[in-house]
Amino acid sequence: MQASLEQKYNFDIVKWFTVASVIYLVVGTLIGVYIAAELAWPALNLDIAEISFGRLRPLHTNAVIFAFGGCALMATSYYSVQRTCGVRVWSDKLAWFTFIGWNLIIVSAVITLPLGLTQGKEYAELEWPIDIAIAVVWLAYGLNFVMTLATRKTSHIYVSNWFFLSMIIMITYLHVVNSLAIPVSLFKSYSVYSGVQDAMIQWWYGHNAVGFYLTAGFLGIMYYFVPKQANRPVFSYRLSVIHFWALTFGYVWLGAHHLQYTALPDWTGSLGAAVSLAMIIPSWGGAVNGMMTLSGAWDKLRTDYVMRFLIVSLAFYAMSTFEGPVMSAKTVNALSHYTDWTVGHVHSGALGWVAMVAAGALYHMIMKLWRTEMYSAKLVNLHFWLATVGAVIYIIAMWVSGIMQGLMWRDYDEFGTLTYTFAESVAAMHPYYAMRAVGGLIYWTGGAVMLYNTIMTIRQATAARSASPAAATA
Amino acid sequence: MLEYFHTDWAAMTLNDWAGMIITVGVFVLMIWAYVHVFHPKNKEKLESMRHIPLDDDDEDSEDTK
Repeated sequence: MQASLEQKYNFDIVKWFTVASVIYLVVGTLIGVYIAAELAWPALNLDIAEISFGRLRPLHTNAVIFAFGGCALMATSYYSVQRTCGVRVWSDKLAWFTFIGWNLIIVSAVITLPLGLTQGKEYAELEWPIDIAIAVVWLAYGLNFVMTLATRKTSHIYVSNWFFLSMIIMITYLHVVNSLAIPVSLFKSYSVYSGVQDAMIQWWYGHNAVGFYLTAGFLGIMYYFVPKQANRPVFSYRLSVIHFWALTFGYVWLGAHHLQYTALPDWTGSLGAAVSLAMIIPSWGGAVNGMMTLSGAWDKLRTDYVMRFLIVSLAFYAMSTFEGPVMSAKTVNALSHYTDWTVGHVHSGALGWVAMVAAGALYHMIMKLWRTEMYSAKLVNLHFWLATVGAVIYIIAMWVSGIMQGLMWRDYDEFGTLTYTFAESVAAMHPYYAMRAVGGLIYWTGGAVMLYNTIMTIRQATAARSASPAAATA
Repeated sequence: MLEYFHTDWAAMTLNDWAGMIITVGVFVLMIWAYVHVFHPKNKEKLESMRHIPLDDDDEDSEDTK
């Protein structure tokens, strides 16, 4: 059965993206731990510019978002689109082009970002030649995905594919518009936007990268892999349809909430905050839809460690999609903006939602693709607890430090003079920065455990496969 | 309140009109989506799609056993 499936579908490309994704999880979070330690103990930059916080921070974000997240999205979307459409991926060559191209882009990021070659746009730091390469590879991926849908043998396109498709379309649009720049040399360019327009475009891109890449794409993962792992249909298909359209129509309005109390017209920030608060409804609808898929089979959480990743990720998704809108409201934003609270919020989404739902899907695929159980179920459980505890420590540290920063910065005495200097607020952050580094280290250890377990599982499966023909011929 | 909602239609630029038409259009589409999805006559058809991931040719799926 499985052998015929392997002939029918292109699982090789999924395998490569899967393994790459696990490797990038470890590498990306390791860089994150290092720069977190640099903030707590600045001497760790060793006075080497290439490993200073400013150079490594964009490398960390690019590694976890585009290397780990991108490979996880491409692995899961290539896997699920083939299975839900009953056809092989439209073009094997194009699929391999996306794998090689995407990884070459990652290599170019590893080289250029530590050298300080950057456009200075958050989550879009890579210089213009690499931006063009991203557009080409992404369009190839999109074309392959769309053509696979177009050649499907089923009448209906399952909802997970809608989420993947909305991600593909919106990221193309966002990346191209945000990256428009005038090159002045091979590795230097200037954005075509300036001033407040540049800020608006940046955060229209930045928030929608979160909305469509890290949310819609990973919801595509959730809508396929939660029912598959639970072996139960999704709780409500109608709710998933509303979740999709409300998220797609709503998310594009939110970017301005990153620019409250700036030169941006006041109404744009108010609109961003209002729509952000409205987005709690579809987001929670989706989270409930995923969790209630287990309704009547909650006992699976006791024994199925992969299921734990998927369900706990939804709890983090619900938490961050409540926290985000609250932070976008102007009164809360006045306290939270520019503080570590934002960093904590981003990581509750990244560590808790994105990485955990991806880990659940990757474990599921590893077992299916290599036709075996995981080398050690106990190590999957260990990874789950390390990830959960690490993420919680990280988030709590940033909540406390962020709120403390906000309160210290706004405090003034009876003469109207600021009570604290900026340097005093930095010094007060030290214990929380150390705590954040510890939380990150625990989270990274979980990823390293996953990588070890993955390698041993593949080795075990390969050995079993090579032994079985030998046993048959003996 | 009337002053707050007052609009100088003559001052609307092409961008303003495009933005307003898209906004109202999206709002109407969302209303249509809610009505369509939650109309009782569409329930059975839509909910039948829930089983698609379980109906693929996976030997572990209970539905295919």
